[in-house]
Amino acid sequence: MIVAEQKPLSEIKEIIALYKKILIMGCGTCVKTCFAGGEDEVAVLASALRLACKKDGKEIEIEELTIERQCEDEFIRESAPAVSRNEGVLSLACGAGVQALARRFGKTPVLPGVNTTFIGVLEKQGIFTEECSGCGDCNLAIFGGVCPFTRCAKKLLNGPCGGSQNGKCEVNPESDCAWHLIIERLRILGQMDKLRIYVPPKNWQTSLSGGPRKLVREDHMI
Amino acid sequence: MNMKVHSRLQEILSKGEFAVTAECGPPRGATPEVVRKKGELLKGYVDAVNVTDNQTAIVRMSSIAACSHLLQMGLEPVMQMVTRDRNRIALQSDIMGAYSLGIKNILCLSGDHQSFGSQPDALNVFDIDSMNLIRTVQTMREQGKDMSGFELNGPPRMFIGAAANPFADPFEYRVIRLAKKIDAGADFIQTQCIYNMDRFKEWMKMARDEGLTEKVHILGGVTPLKSAGMAKFMNNKVAGMDVPEPLIKRMANVPKKKAVEEGIKICIETIAELCEIEGVHGVHIMAIEWEEIVGQIVESAGLTPRP
Amino acid sequence: MYKVINHKTKTSLSGTTRFRRFFSDHYTTERLRMLTLAMDKKFIPKITVFHCINAFTENTPLPFVGGNDYEIKFIRLPCSSMVKDVFLLRAFEAGADGVVVLVCPEGQCRYVEGNIRAKKRVVWVQNLLDEIGIDGQRLSLSNIAAGDTATASQIIDDILKNMAELGPNPAA
Repeated sequence: MIVAEQKPLSEIKEIIALYKKILIMGCGTCVKTCFAGGEDEVAVLASALRLACKKDGKEIEIEELTIERQCEDEFIRESAPAVSRNEGVLSLACGAGVQALARRFGKTPVLPGVNTTFIGVLEKQGIFTEECSGCGDCNLAIFGGVCPFTRCAKKLLNGPCGGSQNGKCEVNPESDCAWHLIIERLRILGQMDKLRIYVPPKNWQTSLSGGPRKLVREDHMI
Repeated sequence: MNMKVHSRLQEILSKGEFAVTAECGPPRGATPEVVRKKGELLKGYVDAVNVTDNQTAIVRMSSIAACSHLLQMGLEPVMQMVTRDRNRIALQSDIMGAYSLGIKNILCLSGDHQSFGSQPDALNVFDIDSMNLIRTVQTMREQGKDMSGFELNGPPRMFIGAAANPFADPFEYRVIRLAKKIDAGADFIQTQCIYNMDRFKEWMKMARDEGLTEKVHILGGVTPLKSAGMAKFMNNKVAGMDVPEPLIKRMANVPKKKAVEEGIKICIETIAELCEIEGVHGVHIMAIEWEEIVGQIVESAGLTPRP
Repeated sequence: MYKVINHKTKTSLSGTTRFRRFFSDHYTTERLRMLTLAMDKKFIPKITVFHCINAFTENTPLPFVGGNDYEIKFIRLPCSSMVKDVFLLRAFEAGADGVVVLVCPEGQCRYVEGNIRAKKRVVWVQNLLDEIGIDGQRLSLSNIAAGDTATASQIIDDILKNMAELGPNPAA
């Protein structure tokens, strides 16, 4: 899922400062799973903002709505009536969702309420970890299912640097050294000789290096 | 290792002489005098001088420029190059530029992460890793081609070095890594500084068993300790360092005034042991910001005069 | 919506005509002073109590004091872990000056982790209240076993002391 974190309340207050009537829009997919922008989080934020505004003597009217996904126009269209009723929309979806809303509702300001961070997994309840950087050229087969582009701070392809201690990365002692994990995996799989294979330099053309990417599936277009 | 001789360091190692190299850190500024002073302290005591490349991610005068200043003094530099700050275009360009200036030795490294240095807010590069860099320099030398396959107008023919750390985790993997670097094209290896001689000897044995010592020149790294505090710090806070308890105790047992002397003694003892290990072809003295001590160490170890 | 506890009308919480009163062994001098202060300012704190039905029942007698000292409202939950963040905030939006969550004693939640989850949520909302600018101390959580009237009394005591210090909800 895409992992995001809700912005601090003080920042959100500043972002919506000019508006008296706003719609807080949540998303029922990724941000719901990481507790940043699902229906519950929308309700809490709306309540918190109402309390904060009341305390500051500021008038505000907040409408709450959560749609299935903010990255698909089919669902976004459902929110049109609610959007038209309000001066601005505070979207708690990831950056893609915010921009998708802005595309459809050109005349209404769409503002971000969360900071989108990474593509990750739920390691265990309450802990989300980054796993994939979307490089566009997946080599997990040779790395025993652990991605060094994402999980090694130096994106090393041919083995660890000399800096890890007790299997932890020198840059962040709370992160596992990705190469330590790779070596352990290959050891269990009996594939340690994969470590001797020379991995040539990565072709970055498939990644963000070249500007925003696009996928076109003609077979699905009429 | 049948190859044309490209640099003085290579010549000394090929002849079977025990080589001595040291390190020189460029200044945090544009003053070449600093580099020249360090060069003066090392002249006559070493066969080649490593020049670090923004070590610990702290912004310093570039390695290529500092190497150039040392060259002009008659010293043989080893240009250290990290993949942290430059992409493959810049790296290849700098390799060619360096060779054109007369720099004939290169040490290929990944580099310390920028979060440790003076610009933790910078974006790092790591376009390629140190293994790719070794292979690149080898391809340029042996085939005269760059990474895109273009035939170069005057290929750089450098003597290629890599780093090895016998003390990092996991231990069994370290020799696999050494083999991989040799396959990629490394001609010589400089190791992390050695305090745990037993572990180093174990690593050397594994290297010999795989036949690696026939394919590469290994130079053992040493750093003189200045105090028990320094020994403890290195063991606990610096990744990939192994300072055994007896050594820390030895430093702690001498009075503070005598600590430096004791550290130098330990260093000289280490060098003496290195001379005896089969497969070790030299020593790399890393006296960080203490270049003046190198001469004394080399002399006391009986390694002067240099050929 | 708030039930007013008033010794003059002799109405108990459960609505029965039985009159219950806690006598002076529960009234400390300090407490009387705080309550008097509250009375002087004519501030009648509104307290909302979220409680797990296993930890507390609404016919537990609560202390009476002279005058209309506080208004109280009860919200029953099958387990205290059902207290969602938004309910706590909405209680303040509805005008509560103080909110307390009553949960089973540690290790005695019949759903095992319910009281632990409730505690985590309360801490989260306390921090949020601080960010909003309404003191997070208005919200509290207490462990209580069913029928433990002494603890119930102590809890109310503490809340009222707190309310006297904090004053009315600035966002009510």
